[in-house]
Amino acid sequence: METSARKRSITVGLFVIIGIVIFAVGILTVGSMKKIFSSNIAVKTIFDDVNGLKPGNNVWYSGVKIGTVKTIRFLENSRVEVMMNIEEKSQEFIRKNAKAKVSTDGLIGNKIIVIYGGTQKVPSIEDGDELIVEKIESTEEMLAVLSENNKNLLGITSAFKTISKNILEGKGTVGMLLADESLYNDVDKTLATLKQASLNAQTMTASLSGFTAKLNQKGGLANDFATDTVIMRDLRGTIGKLNETISSANVMVSNLKTASADLNSNTTSPLGVLLHDESTASNLKGTLKNLESSTEKLDENMQALRSNFLFRRYFKKKAKEQEKEEVKQPEKVE
Amino acid sequence: MSAKRKEHVYSKRLDSAFLAVYNGYTFFLRFFREAFKGRMEFQELVKQCYAIGYKSLLLIGLTGFITGMVFTKQSRPSLAEFGATSWLPSLVAIAIVRALAALVTALISAGKVGSSIGAELGSMRVTEQIDAMEVSAVNPFKFLVVTRVLACTITIPILMFYCTMVSLMGAFLNVTLNEGTSFIAFFENAFEQITFLDIFTSVAKAVAYGFTIGIVGCYQGYNASKGTEGVGKAANSSVVISMFLIFIEEVIIVQVSNYFRV
Repeated sequence: METSARKRSITVGLFVIIGIVIFAVGILTVGSMKKIFSSNIAVKTIFDDVNGLKPGNNVWYSGVKIGTVKTIRFLENSRVEVMMNIEEKSQEFIRKNAKAKVSTDGLIGNKIIVIYGGTQKVPSIEDGDELIVEKIESTEEMLAVLSENNKNLLGITSAFKTISKNILEGKGTVGMLLADESLYNDVDKTLATLKQASLNAQTMTASLSGFTAKLNQKGGLANDFATDTVIMRDLRGTIGKLNETISSANVMVSNLKTASADLNSNTTSPLGVLLHDESTASNLKGTLKNLESSTEKLDENMQALRSNFLFRRYFKKKAKEQEKEEVKQPEKVE
Repeated sequence: MSAKRKEHVYSKRLDSAFLAVYNGYTFFLRFFREAFKGRMEFQELVKQCYAIGYKSLLLIGLTGFITGMVFTKQSRPSLAEFGATSWLPSLVAIAIVRALAALVTALISAGKVGSSIGAELGSMRVTEQIDAMEVSAVNPFKFLVVTRVLACTITIPILMFYCTMVSLMGAFLNVTLNEGTSFIAFFENAFEQITFLDIFTSVAKAVAYGFTIGIVGCYQGYNASKGTEGVGKAANSSVVISMFLIFIEEVIIVQVSNYFRV
């Protein structure tokens, strides 16, 4: 073989081999995607409605693709049996009481079978097992609910339309609020008043601010009240004593009250007799009168005794001692 | 008048069209007869594989790369409208594997290979080289036609594999530049929706297209006449007819594959 022919043959061979390798890689990639080359077990489930599921659609468990739908066939009572190929390495994680449902890959994606749930106490699924099915609302059912919602929404918007019309026409409380000019004026005035009040409040706040500044100024009475602990202690002591005094005064007043009550009620006691008995009072008056006249007479008698020779000497002696006392008293003062 | 009627069964155009179909049919049958009879011209087959396949690789690779990239770029706005740009890899892969790779390869090959076969065999016919081969006891059909048709049938599917890969690379480049998708994520998404049926259908298409390009080019060149004008006509007809047949085959194969798809 010529060199050029040999070179050409090698090039063609390489070209063909690379092409076949690309083809083989494509086949293997698709095969691995479809889990064809891995060991599988067959699991079935029976649905009332598969919502357009097709052979080749994926089977997911916890969001991981673990197999594909193998066959779909009708059973009695319009039920549909779906056979799934599930890879053997995922078998141990799926329990016999796991459930299956038809779902979609994304919002508008392909139909898939989602296997979920199952408890650890239950053994793993085996080849030929049947999974429990959970009925999922179909798109049509969801649309029916949405349709009902739309009707409700229409009713609500119609009601709102009527309400807004009434409001615009000034009907009802809200309508009056919006349409009545006098109400608006009142509100306007109220707002003006509120504005003034807020201005006053602002001024008051400023004054309070000044006042508090003064309070904080050291040496002031209020500051002393606020900061000097000695004053507060004295004040507390004083107030305590005042309280005690008030308590004593209360007791005294109470006693006085009791005494006066006794005086008022008990007419037989000496003071009660003095206060209430009129005859005793007139007797007392007579006695006092007699005492006054007796005193006058006694005074007269005493004057007479001074002139008597028996007592004259005594009174002279007493007068002299008194003079002496009076002389001594000014000297002490000087 | 009666003599004229006898000369044409229906009309000159219709008669010639039916005759061309008949000749094509006999040419087609002769190919199968010659292909399985006698010793294969292996060296010539390798030479044709080199000329048809390897020599077209760069052109088809470049075209495929641009096709993948442009198709991705043009598809993005439509998917972005409903926030589904993440579906771009699978969309592009489906388009490339199911239709674009095979079609692009076939159309480029029809233009390049079909015309060259038509012109080459046509010039050999008008320069009486084919007649000379017959005289020298060499079967020109087996040597010229069978090798070229087989080379087309073998190399065009292989070119399609290259084209698929390069188109997907072009699509990946565009996706990764815009969405920042990783290589693995892109190919995971791309091959997720591809089935064996898609791959085998596209291989079947490529085989059919390759055979069509080869047989049409050879037929037009082998039956060329009227001197150098006939050579040009043969080259032109090879391209036009093979492209037309490629689209017809596309429709038929898609219909058949869809039957198996459900």
